[in-house]
Formats: sequence, C-alpha cells, structure tokens
Amino acid sequence: MAPASFQLIAALVLRETSIIYEPRKEYLVEARLHPLAAQAGCASVDAYVQMLSINPVERRKAIDALTINETSWFRDNAPYQAFTETMLPALMANRTERRHLSIWSAACSSGQEAYSIAMLLDQHLPAGWTADILATDVSTAMLTRVENGRYSQVEMNRGLPATSLVKYFTRAGSEWEIVPALRKMVRTRHLNLAEPFPVIGTFDLVLLRNVLIYFDQPTKHGILRRMHQHVASDGYLLLGSSETTLDLPADLHAMWDREQIGRVQAHRPAGGLTVPRPSSTTFSAALTGARP
Amino acid sequence: MTESPMTQRAMIIDDSKAMRSILRRIVSGLSFETAEAAHGQEALDQMEAGFMPDLCLIDWNMPVMDGYTFITEVRKRPEWRNITLMMVTTESEQGQIVKALAAGAHEYVIKPFTPDAIVEKLELLGLVSKGVLA
Amino acid sequence: MTVTTQPSGPELADVHAIVEQVWSSFLGDEEPLLPRYADAAEEGTPAFPAEHVWSAAVSVHGGWTGTVTVELSSSVAQSLTRLMLAMEDEPLDDAEVADAVGELVNMIGGNIKSLMPGPSALTLPVVAAGRAAHSSELAEVARFDAMWNGEPVRISVHAPQS
Repeated sequence: MAPASFQLIAALVLRETSIIYEPRKEYLVEARLHPLAAQAGCASVDAYVQMLSINPVERRKAIDALTINETSWFRDNAPYQAFTETMLPALMANRTERRHLSIWSAACSSGQEAYSIAMLLDQHLPAGWTADILATDVSTAMLTRVENGRYSQVEMNRGLPATSLVKYFTRAGSEWEIVPALRKMVRTRHLNLAEPFPVIGTFDLVLLRNVLIYFDQPTKHGILRRMHQHVASDGYLLLGSSETTLDLPADLHAMWDREQIGRVQAHRPAGGLTVPRPSSTTFSAALTGARP
Repeated sequence: MTESPMTQRAMIIDDSKAMRSILRRIVSGLSFETAEAAHGQEALDQMEAGFMPDLCLIDWNMPVMDGYTFITEVRKRPEWRNITLMMVTTESEQGQIVKALAAGAHEYVIKPFTPDAIVEKLELLGLVSKGVLA
Repeated sequence: MTVTTQPSGPELADVHAIVEQVWSSFLGDEEPLLPRYADAAEEGTPAFPAEHVWSAAVSVHGGWTGTVTVELSSSVAQSLTRLMLAMEDEPLDDAEVADAVGELVNMIGGNIKSLMPGPSALTLPVVAAGRAAHSSELAEVARFDAMWNGEPVRISVHAPQS
C-alpha cells in the first residue's frame, strides 16, 4: 500500500470517525481493505482507495471495516433513555387503538441498535401491544448477521447490561444468540440510503445514527428529504450526536422541527400534529416543505 | 495524587499482576485513584484499613478468597452499600453471571475485553460521564 | 441400554475463536495469530519449533472434566508479558512472565469451560518453564496450533480417556 493511499484513508477515517490511524497501522489498514478491494474488482488496495473518493457506498464499507470494533449495544445511552422516558410514552398515548409501533433502524450494521430497541420494547411495552423493527443495511453480510442474531464474547461486553445479557441471550458455542422473541420483532431488508427508498411505509421512530457522516452533502440532503415521508407526523428521527447541526438548505431545514429531549436532539416532521394525519398530507408536506 | 473529595477510587482485585496492570491503566485513564489486591481478603483488609472505593473490579477465581465470596462479604456490610461491584472474569456461563448478580454484583464483564468495554460499563453504571475520553 | 458419556472436547472452531479473541483483545491486532494446521503428510502432532518454552494449564472439574494447556515459545511469552504490563525495555523477571502466561490460560480455559456442559469449577493456573506433561490417563481432544511473530503457540485440551 502506497504511503499516499495510507494518508488518504487515515485522513478519511479521522474526519469521519475521529479515530486516529497511526502510520505503524498500515498493515492493519491493508489487511482490512484488501477483501473489499478484491470484492469491488480493484487490482490493488491503492486503486480501491482512489475509488473511495467518488463512491460513497464503498467509502462507508471501508470505514466500517476500519472501525469494526465500534459497534456497541445502547450506543451513547442517551438516545435510548430518551426513547423509554419520552418518545415511547408520547407515541403510545397517540396509538391506544392500534396498539402497534413501527421502528426503522436504517444502516443497522450488525444489529446492536435494532436489538437494543427490541430489548427496551420488551421491557416497556404493556401487554397487548406489538412492535416491529425494520433493520436495513447496504451490506447483505451485515443483514445475515442480524438475522443470525449471534455475537462474539467481545461484542457482548460492549455496553450491554449484564441483566440484559442473561435475559435476552443464550450461549451458542463461543458466541451468544438473541432469544427468539426478540429476533421475531426484527425483520431485515437490503436498502441503500443513497438511492430512492423502496415502499417501506411510515415509522414512529427512525434511527439514522452515525451514517450520514459517510455521505457527501447532496446525498445527505437527499436522504433527509426522502426520510420525511417515512416518519409519522408525530414520530421521531434520531441522528448521531455529531450529526444534528448539519448545515441544511432553507427548504430542507423547514421540513424538520428540532426537539431537545434530555441530551438528545430529535428531528420531527415540521408541522406534525399530536394525532396521526392521513399519509397524503405528510407526503405533500414532504414535497413542498410547507407547513399546513 | 492530591486528595480531593471529587476523586473516585477503584479497587482492582485480581490474582494476576498483568491483569491488574491492564485494568489500572484503563481506570486511571478515567481519573480514578486506584488500589490493588491479589485476592478478596486482601481487598477487605485494605478497605478496613481505610481505602474506601467507589468501584471494585473483581476477578472470580483467586486464591484465599474468591470474587464471589468477596461480593457476599461486602454485601453483609450496610456501610459499604454504595460501593459499585463489577465482576471482570473469565467465568462466562449464564448461570455464573446470574449467580454473581444475585449476590450483589452490579455489572459483569467477561474476559477477554477491550478497554472500551470497561469504559462503557462504567458509563452504564453512571461512574463515568460520556465523552470523558474524547 | 444407552450409556451417556461426556462429550470428549470442544469444537476446534470454537477454541480458535476464543484464542483469537483473547489475542486481539490484549495483544493488539497488528501482529495476527496465524493458524497452523497439521500437514496431512505429517504424522501425529506437528513439531513445536522452539527451544525455550513456557507452558501453563488450568483444569475444569464438574459437568465436564478436562485440562486446557497453553504452550508458547519464550519469546512469545516475553512479548505478551511486556504488552500486558505495558513495559518496553525494563528487564522482566520469571515471576512476571509466569503471571502473564497464567492469566492467558485462565482466560482461554474459562471460556472453553463455558462451551462444555456445566456447572464446573476452574482451577487456578499452574505455570512452568518447559513443555507441558500430561498424565497417561488423559487424551488430547482438541488442539489449536498457531504462529505469532514467527514463533509457535499451542492450545490443547485434554480429557480423561473414555
């Protein structure tokens, strides 16, 4: 791997994740990028690094590979606390007839976010209520991991309360496997956020955390625009903690209200009512960004 | 280190000096003042002698007094009820985790672990605030 | 009549996964642990190409009974001790090396115990300079051979002959 390629990739990782790769880690970077380069049809890791500057999907995969140990359960804690203490009671108050919640973990990676939410729903949803969690990712390998629901010992140590470990997992060889009740709550689907979304419906909570950082500005804006019609009018969109102060164009800025919940800033469809509106209203608001 | 009421203290209890060294580096990096013990009885002796920890990191299998016995001993003393007890051990059967939690452990880390795992557990326990390493 | 015997030993893939995790957690992943499988032509146990060796063992007693042994070249033992103690140039004494190697086998042995039927208890590690010797009543039921920094590492699991 050429020193220039290493510098490029180190700068990219530093900018996107604040993780520092020192020059002595060149070997590690090469080892992790080599399979991706081969998969992408690049003749060398150097060629692959060149490709990253123009290909956001590969850029995301590369950063994933280089930050492979970064996934935790209940990552950052605060969003999950805000979910149980504020969002969940508010959503339930508006859904006493339907008694169902829909949640989307967009860019689910190996599934810790989706299953963390599933654990909280198991603890806090009253009897008679149901929930489903859609977990999407651009990587089919990651979707398979979510479906298998199996995690290594090292992954289990990352931010998962011991009480939840014993309650929601069983030992499977050297790994731990999520219990069927939680796995049933989560369904997976392949989805590239950078492209138009398929028909997936509307969600009461969308988790779009720590993923926008992988995209360039126009793509980020496109995702936030498309996302609007998939968040229920009284629903919530959660971004990563470093992603909430994005510089948005005026019309897009006006599409979302910002609500501070504890240490978390939630985005909510602008002009949202406390009771669900017909979806056509939501849709036209999404297109025009206008408040009704 | 200057004594300050704000400084949190950690007792590291493991019969391996190498493991104590690894744990000491992690919690010192989080501004804990540390003491070390090679088994449960040695930790109890230091606590009786005046080193009152906010946090104990406790191995399970040790000579003289194992970590499970240490937890039950600490839980017999009402004046020590504010001490946070976290097992850090290679014992990894579900039954062992349940047993330690029932005896009064607050958290459980299975060896091997990465430094992030310890930091995240301490965040869960409210002993470390988010972003302290940033 | 059905005779139930204890499962002889853990799956090699699980042993590999455990060793790999212990290794990458404490020794970093800059220098990978490279698995080394016995040459098909090679009879029995592959050679253990090291002159000075440390060995350490823990035993498991209960739902499953067996012994987990780690053997490594002296230079691997020294390197891992330095990494665990965060010592660079200061001289190491044998007690420090024995302690680090003992903790290594404790972590691997404890995790292997959890693969097997329980409940079982784990003994404290026994560490020695030199190769490990096994009682003739024990048979090898799993072995993982690897190289680290060009030096050999072996993890073996022994259980009573059935």
